[in-house]
Amino acid sequence: MQVANKLSPFFENLNFERDDNTMVINFGPQHPSAHGQLRLVLELEGEQVVKAYPDIGYLHRGIEKMAENMTYNEFLPTTDRLDYIASTSNNYAYALAVEKLLGIEAPRRAQVIRTMLLELNRIISHLFFVATHALDVGAMSVFLYAFREREFAMDLMEDYCGARLTHSAVRIGGVPLDLPAGWLENLAAFCDKVDYELEHTYEALLTENRIWKMRLEDVGVISAEDALSWGCTGPMLRGSGVKYDIRKEEPYELYSELDFDIPVSDRCDSYGRYRLYMAEMKESTKILRQLIPMYSKTEPQLMAHAPQYISAPKEEIMTQNYALMQHFVLVTQGMRPPKGEVYVPTESPKGELGFYIKSEGEPYAYRLKCRAPSFFHTGLLQELLVGTYIADVVTIIGSTNIVFGEVDR
Amino acid sequence: MAQHQVNYASTAGLPIALTSVDKLVNWGRSNSLWPLTYGLACCAIEMMASGASRYDFDRMGTIFRASPRQADVMILAGTLSKKHSEFARRLYDQMTEPKWVISMGSCANTGGMFNTYATVQGVDRIIPVDIYLPGCAPRPETLQYAMMMLQKKIRRESADMKKNTKQDLTTQTGKKRARLI
Amino acid sequence: MRKYVPKDNVQKKAYYTDRFHVVPRVPRVAVEDAHFLSVVNAVKADITDSYVEIGTLVLHIKPEDNFKVLQVLKEQCGYTQCSEQSAVDYLAKDNEFELFWQLLNVTEAKRVRVVCRLANGAAIESVESLFKSANFAEREMFDMFGIKVNNHPFLKRIIMPDDWEGHPLLKTYPLQGDEFASWYEVDKIFGKEYRDIIGPENRDPSKIEREDTKRFSRVGYEVPFGAPYSEEQTDIEYSETVLVDYNKKPSKTLDKRR
Repeated sequence: MQVANKLSPFFENLNFERDDNTMVINFGPQHPSAHGQLRLVLELEGEQVVKAYPDIGYLHRGIEKMAENMTYNEFLPTTDRLDYIASTSNNYAYALAVEKLLGIEAPRRAQVIRTMLLELNRIISHLFFVATHALDVGAMSVFLYAFREREFAMDLMEDYCGARLTHSAVRIGGVPLDLPAGWLENLAAFCDKVDYELEHTYEALLTENRIWKMRLEDVGVISAEDALSWGCTGPMLRGSGVKYDIRKEEPYELYSELDFDIPVSDRCDSYGRYRLYMAEMKESTKILRQLIPMYSKTEPQLMAHAPQYISAPKEEIMTQNYALMQHFVLVTQGMRPPKGEVYVPTESPKGELGFYIKSEGEPYAYRLKCRAPSFFHTGLLQELLVGTYIADVVTIIGSTNIVFGEVDR
Repeated sequence: MAQHQVNYASTAGLPIALTSVDKLVNWGRSNSLWPLTYGLACCAIEMMASGASRYDFDRMGTIFRASPRQADVMILAGTLSKKHSEFARRLYDQMTEPKWVISMGSCANTGGMFNTYATVQGVDRIIPVDIYLPGCAPRPETLQYAMMMLQKKIRRESADMKKNTKQDLTTQTGKKRARLI
Repeated sequence: MRKYVPKDNVQKKAYYTDRFHVVPRVPRVAVEDAHFLSVVNAVKADITDSYVEIGTLVLHIKPEDNFKVLQVLKEQCGYTQCSEQSAVDYLAKDNEFELFWQLLNVTEAKRVRVVCRLANGAAIESVESLFKSANFAEREMFDMFGIKVNNHPFLKRIIMPDDWEGHPLLKTYPLQGDEFASWYEVDKIFGKEYRDIIGPENRDPSKIEREDTKRFSRVGYEVPFGAPYSEEQTDIEYSETVLVDYNKKPSKTLDKRR
């Protein structure tokens, strides 16, 4: 018997000496299908889960605490690391919350670019979902195909902002850069490519696949009341038959002008959610196609004009004294938004991503709370996993599409 | 049959390659580095991307393993929080010798932008690190480069792991030394 | 003289504030919307204040009424989802926490924020039986602020480890952690006796020890691990295919598929 001490401890995951014939299994925090650092303590009776206890916090980085110690502009790159699969949606949700607090609105061209980036991020995130979900269930080839298309989308993001993963592509009050030359043509080609591949590769590989259907159908069933009560949003809510999409119901940016559908599934199971993700990607390409002609009709202004809060464009800073002074104050001290509190929900690829900001008129937020969809979806696991079989646990975790950057923050 | 008899002296020489044990062992070690899938945060996505279709890690003999018992390299991809640190150390202890560690991304190197209460300020506080890979998040090419640097490093090492100078967890002044490995 | 740092709020402060700077307030509008008016009428007896701030109806209540008000909102006004719940630390100013519940009505697409002030040390009633999402949210609130929740099924730390000391989101808790936090992983893995060997955390992001050959090796000037720093070039070869030659002109051809 090994002598346990601090450096070579004696750990056993399985506990056999129990009276009630159940077995406790520790799933994670390092598990290839745990989507990050989820630790699940599962109590099994035979192969059936009788109790599940999700243990989170293994990726807690103190992001909300950082927000209280950073000026509003400083904090923006930190939001990238929340939902790191679709960074721009976090940047955008934060920027929108601060803009609502300041009472400013981004110019039209910035809105077009932002909406494009948001939808592009939605495609990136959904492709990633399909890739990892299929990989968890056992369809390795879909992972390789989906990452191929995802790389093209990442190339587009990289052309725009220079980063593959942590974009910081949105600023408070607008966007930092205009689209590079030829970007829109590439985007149109990418939309065609995604539509083609969705139909001919993913749907052909998965949708009618017998194994895929057997693994996903009637697994992880959430009723509409449960989904609402557990705080499910996004595809998790729409997969349970509740037609609620913030883009449609509480429209922000250009979504009120765009023509798109909200796919809903009444199946309430993992298969329905998978179909929903596929349909949402098609809607995203539809939105992107509508946005491309809108871009050319806009004025070239990229940042909102609000000298009290937002620095003037670089040309003005270099030529005009007052703009330079404002810029100096804004950079060294940070903007001081009015006193008040704001909660702005946005529809991120995972669900409702909202920032609650409490401002006391200081350059530092008094309290910032990030309402992350994955946090509540993880809470749901403790009820959803009970009664399922151990083989379905991975499927359910995959279909909830949780990202631990925003669960633990 | 006479045509099957090869005259080694006149064509390519004897089918013997002379080498040292070190070179032979290191050739094997460096060309089949199996990393542990240890995705912690954002960098894990780039680690997955480098294993996926465009970057294709497999061509370097790098195949991700889910179990620490089968892995040679631990790629610490992402922020290591204090709650997680003991598990990271335990996984490192579970890996069999010889083992190497790549610390991927700024968070793993130094804590990076997360200079907060919950983040381990550099994984080298708990695990000896061979390659530090900067970037937030490093691109897949960078991870491949790190892997190639690690291969170079392994090729320079001795086959006998006891002879290699491993990084030990000492203070920066280096007065007190303790082999924690 | 040592700089005075107030102990009750150790978060970062603005280093300079203009004497004449007047902080404006986000406008609070009286309730006019028909749906919001019906909500206000439904809970009229229990609210102390109500207004609309940036599109959200804000209801101020007394902390002991929280379950009652949320029940009315859920059952009569159709607010079936509690999208967020947390607290704000006002201990330094008022010795109180401000708690808020962010509710969503799916059919009307309206949002209500229920706000209450809870005295330090007091406990709040759990709303877990109304909204199951409060299960995790209340645990997080307990973890981050130490606010006790009555009748919660499993009130335990959720994000920080079980043996953690302190509640991180309090204003008295420094961003970079206290003494306990800074040694947590060393104590846990190696034990307290290894503190001297491993050394304190480096919290200075700009600190570079140029001659530290244990942590850094300069490409082209490498020395063995721990050997003295040297300015002599070493003959370690890096193959050209690996190192990028930035002087070379990049090829203009792009991948066709892009």
